[in-house]
Amino acid sequence: MPIYAPTLPPAPDLSQGHPPALVLLRFDLARLWRQKIGRFFGFVFTAILLIQTAWIYAKFLMQTNQTLRPLEEYSKGLFAQGADFQASLLNPTMYLLWFLVALVGGGLVARDSLYRVRPLMYAHPVAPQDYLLAKLGFASALPFAILLPFALLPWALSLALAGVHGPVWVTAPLRLLPAMAISSILMGSLAVGASSLASTPRAGIGWVLGLVLGAGTLTSMLHGLTGLRLFDGLNPVMLAEAWPQLLVGVQHPLVAWVPALLGTVFHIGLWTFVAASRTRPSEAVI
Amino acid sequence: MIAFENLEVRYQAAPSPALRGLTLSLERGIVGLLGPNGAGKSTLLKALLGLLKPSGGSGTVLGVALGAPEAAKLRGRIGYMPEYDALIEDTSAYEQVAFWGELSGLAPEAARDRAHEVLYFVGLDESRYRAVSGYSTGMRQRVKLAQALVHSPELIFLDEPTNGLDPDGRRRMLDLVLRVHAELGTGVILASHLLADVERVADQLVILDQGEIKAAGSMAGLRRALARRVELRFLDPLDAAQEAALTELGTVLEARNGLYDLELTEADPGGAFSWAQAHGATLIQVTPRHDRLDEVLLRALHPALHPALPLAQNPAQPDSEPSINTAGTGR
Repeated sequence: MPIYAPTLPPAPDLSQGHPPALVLLRFDLARLWRQKIGRFFGFVFTAILLIQTAWIYAKFLMQTNQTLRPLEEYSKGLFAQGADFQASLLNPTMYLLWFLVALVGGGLVARDSLYRVRPLMYAHPVAPQDYLLAKLGFASALPFAILLPFALLPWALSLALAGVHGPVWVTAPLRLLPAMAISSILMGSLAVGASSLASTPRAGIGWVLGLVLGAGTLTSMLHGLTGLRLFDGLNPVMLAEAWPQLLVGVQHPLVAWVPALLGTVFHIGLWTFVAASRTRPSEAVI
Repeated sequence: MIAFENLEVRYQAAPSPALRGLTLSLERGIVGLLGPNGAGKSTLLKALLGLLKPSGGSGTVLGVALGAPEAAKLRGRIGYMPEYDALIEDTSAYEQVAFWGELSGLAPEAARDRAHEVLYFVGLDESRYRAVSGYSTGMRQRVKLAQALVHSPELIFLDEPTNGLDPDGRRRMLDLVLRVHAELGTGVILASHLLADVERVADQLVILDQGEIKAAGSMAGLRRALARRVELRFLDPLDAAQEAALTELGTVLEARNGLYDLELTEADPGGAFSWAQAHGATLIQVTPRHDRLDEVLLRALHPALHPALPLAQNPAQPDSEPSINTAGTGR
C-alpha cells in the first residue's frame, strides 16, 4: 500500500531553470554515464591516451638517459618530424570514435522515439529546435571531448619537457582544435540523422554503421571507376581523418581542400535536415 | 480557464477535420472529457496545449490565445499526462520527474527537491530510486501524474489516466485526481472513455464524438436532469389512450411490458400517482433512475437510437444542464 504525502507544497519559481537544450544535453550525458558502455569507452580512451603520452615521455627519457645529450639537441631532432606527426596525434582514436559515435549516437533519438518521450518533451516549454540542438550538441561534444586530451596532453607534455623545440608544435592545438570541431560536428550530425531514421536504439546503431560503411564503400567504388578524387569528399571516415591533416598542412592529405569542404557541408547539411524533419512534430505550432 | 469558439483542427494528411466547430467555455474545476476512442479527445488536449495549430476558430487557455507565440511559455503553466507510456525505461522515477521539472523551468536543485515531494504525493516515495522498467502499470501511471504535477501547474490535462489499471488502481488514481484539485487548486481536464471515471471526479462534462461536442454542461445539471428520470410500473399494461395521455407527465423514453421510462416535466414524481388515479391505471412502483448516466452518453452519441432528453440548449454555458447537440449527428 503506497504512502501518500499529506499534501504537496507549491513549486518554487519556474524562471530559475536552465535552457531546455542544456537540460536535455545533461540528461543524455548522465544517461550515457549510467550505461556500462559509457564507462567502458571512458576507460579505453583514457588507456589509449595514457599509452600515447607515456610513449612520448619514455622515448624522451631513453634518449636523454642513454646518450646524456642535452635536452634541446634531442628536441631539435624530434622537431623534424613535421606536420604528419602533429596530425597523427588524433589518429589512434578515429576508428574507435566512429564506433563509439555509432553506439551512443545511434540510440540518441531512436530511444526517445521508442519510449515516445519526444511528444511529451514538446508538451513542456521545449521547442523542436531545442531538442535538435541538444542532440546535435551531445553527439558532437562527445567525440570532441574525447579528442581534446589527445591534442592537448602530448602538446602540454612536449612543452613542459622541451619548450618550443618539443616534438609537438607550440601552435598545434590552434590547428587541431578547429579540425576536431569540424570532424566532431560531422560525426555528431551523421549519428543524430541516422538515429532519427530508426525506431529502436539497435536499429539506430545499425543505421549509423551502415551509412558510414556504405558511404565509404560507395565513394571508393566511384573513385575507382571514375578516377576522380572528388568522391573521397563524400566518405565521412576519410573526411574526419582529413581535417586535422588539412589544418596542420600535411603534404598529401587524404582528401583535398575543395572536396573536403564540399563533402563536409553536404554531410552536415543533409543529416541535420534529416534529423530536423524526423524530430519536428508535423503539427507543432512552435 | 478555457474558452474556444468554432474551433477546428485538421491534420495535414486527413481529408476531414479532427475537430470541427467546437464552441465551449469551461470554468476552473474538474472537467470530464468523455467520448469513445477516436472521438477527438487527445486531439483537443493537444490543441489546447498548443501542439496542434487550429485550422479555424479561436480560443484561449489560461488567458493565452491558441496558436499565439506565448504558447510555449503557456506550457510551463500546464501539466500533461499523456495516454501513451512516455517513460524512460532505464531511468528511475526520481531522475525522470526531476528531469521533467527542469524542462518545465525549475532550477536543478529545486527540481530534485520537488521530485521527492511530488513522488511522495503520488505514493511512490519508497520506490522512487528504482528504474521504471520494473514498475507495475499503476506505478507507471503515477509517475506520469507526478511529472505532470512537478512544476505546480495551474491546469493539468490527464489523458486516460486510468488506462490499464485494476479497480483498486483506478480508485487510487481518481482519488489522486480529486486531491490534486481539492488540495492544490489545480484545474483538471480528464479525458476518458470510461463514464464511471468521469462521473466520479468531474464537476463539468463534455461529450465528444467524431470531432464534435455532442453534449456539455455541469455534472450538477446533469444530475438534476437525471433526477426527473423515473421508471413507472403499472399493474396492467396501459391501453393506447392511457399511453397517449402519459405524455402529460413528461417525455416517454421507453415502454416495455407495463414499464415506462419517463423524463418527468416536474421534479416531483408524486404527480404520477395523481395521473394514474385520473386515468384509471394502477401505478404500483415509481423507481428513480439516477444511475443511468450512461444513457446520457449513449443518447449524445447515438441520438437516433436513444431519444433526446429536453435538456438545456446552450453548450457554451458550463453551469447549465447538459445540452445535446444534435446538429450533424446524422452522419
